[in-house]
Amino acid sequence: METLLQTLLNGAASGGVYALVALGYTLIFSVLGVINFAQGALFSLGGYLTYLLLGGKIGVNGALPGWGLPIGLPFWLALLLAALGSGAIGLLVERIAFAPLRRRGAEPLLSLITSLGAGVVLVNLLQLLMGAEGYAFPQGAAGLAHLPESLLLGGARIRTIQVLLLAISALAVASLSLWLDKSRSGKAMRAVAEDPTTATLLGINSEAVVRLAFLLSGMLAGLGGGLIGMSVSLAGPYFGISYGLKGLAVLVLGGLGSVPGAIVGGLVMGLAEALIPSQASGWRDALAFAILFAVLVLRPSGLLGRRQLEKV
Amino acid sequence: MIDNGLLVQMILGALLGLSVYLPMAAGQLSLATPAFYAVGGTLAALLSTQDNAQAGITLGAMVGEMFLAAGLTAGLALLVGLPVLRLRGIYLAIATIALVEIVRVAILNLPFTGGAAGIFGIPQPFQQPLGYVLFSGGLLAACGWLCQRLEASRLGRSMAAIRDDELASRCMGIHTTRVKLTAFVASAVLAGITGVIAAHYLNTWNARQGSFDVAITTLAFVILGGSRSWLGPVIGGLLLTALPELLRPVGDLRLVLFGLVILLGPVLFPQGLITPALLERLGRWKP
Repeated sequence: METLLQTLLNGAASGGVYALVALGYTLIFSVLGVINFAQGALFSLGGYLTYLLLGGKIGVNGALPGWGLPIGLPFWLALLLAALGSGAIGLLVERIAFAPLRRRGAEPLLSLITSLGAGVVLVNLLQLLMGAEGYAFPQGAAGLAHLPESLLLGGARIRTIQVLLLAISALAVASLSLWLDKSRSGKAMRAVAEDPTTATLLGINSEAVVRLAFLLSGMLAGLGGGLIGMSVSLAGPYFGISYGLKGLAVLVLGGLGSVPGAIVGGLVMGLAEALIPSQASGWRDALAFAILFAVLVLRPSGLLGRRQLEKV
Repeated sequence: MIDNGLLVQMILGALLGLSVYLPMAAGQLSLATPAFYAVGGTLAALLSTQDNAQAGITLGAMVGEMFLAAGLTAGLALLVGLPVLRLRGIYLAIATIALVEIVRVAILNLPFTGGAAGIFGIPQPFQQPLGYVLFSGGLLAACGWLCQRLEASRLGRSMAAIRDDELASRCMGIHTTRVKLTAFVASAVLAGITGVIAAHYLNTWNARQGSFDVAITTLAFVILGGSRSWLGPVIGGLLLTALPELLRPVGDLRLVLFGLVILLGPVLFPQGLITPALLERLGRWKP
């Protein structure tokens, strides 16, 4: 019997991951006004990189069956390196799918299409390399072996990994917010988000800020993928796509371009999903999109978004 | 080589390409084509397997299903399009992705759509693929003729104006929401009736027919063929449906290939294969 506390904590844990994905969208949206549809694929990539860095082996349907890295890193290092790897590929996506269109001054709609293409290529390359099968993370190798399987909290048994997941995503979200708020480069990013032309006139290298946004956004997606892989499993290369799509719903729910909106939206979405009774679990995947439609009809600017005014 | 079976799939691909093209001609990215295609196919599968008669189905009954599917998808498109198309920019793309997921989950979970396995034994109105070739070929020709007429009409020109500058066209007195909605509904109806034909031709129907992959594939049709004229998505649909079948060894690389088309197409060939300049040279097809 799952207690309410367990349900809420599970919801908050997956909500934290949704917030990571939505923040990734938000960073890029605020500086460029576009959505990076490759975000879900970077999420998958982060999961697989974490798996390999923890010493996991490629399954029988992969390109190199039985191959694995000859190392088994502690989980925190694996997560960090996997996030950096996803961030690097995020930069590559920017170079191929966004930069040429931006330089040409093409309509922003086109970058939706190219980033979708980048995501499709990435996910299918992952599938060629790793096979379509699901992967469970190597037990013990995760460096978590010395931690207890579950904790007793307020009379409820809670999986340690869920607590860890919530803590890590909260840490990532908090440090990102602090960085945006206080640091010099964070302020530069907010300036570019406000007005790229003025920011450039003030001596901010806005191209560098854009690249930084793609790096951070890719890292957030990769971290989310690694965390979900550790706490649940990798359900095939497409598993990140569904998180990417739900992240979009969270983005609209919180308000496009709003950092606190992405965080609140993620938590609301995670809790709403966790509260769906198990008899109706088949419908759980549709909930995010039902919420998305409701927001578009009732309040298109989202929970915490600003109403967009247009200059003509 | 190209046999009649492949030809049917190519023509259905071209019809779906047209369905993605119509909103794009008004500057809107809709990824909802697989959702409406799935609704049409599911409707046909449900209706024609009702009485468990394996005897078959008449052509008239299939046309009746197509009309029903057209009505249903048009209603659904209005329901989705009305709130979303008031907004500009990326909202339609996001909302249509959501629609694809909702329809897929609904078909998977509803008690009467056969779950993951789907619906089997959908009767065939034609005994030979040739019948499907002629029927869907006729439909494609009719759609092509309509699109050709559209491009010269007030509606078509309004769509082109919105595509170039939505704000300016609104200032010019074009009812932008209504024009965008018309294009979106037309796209939905076309995908819905294509779904009806596909369900009968394929004999079985399940939730995977309307997955996100179909959105990628059909988008690749339009990007490769070009979205400046209706001929672009038709050529793109015909070519890209035939290509993986003709290049059997490619196998698993099919989606990588389609992904590369939509990743690199807008960067390297912004106008696709069928460009306005090419049409100009062909003379008769002056846009």
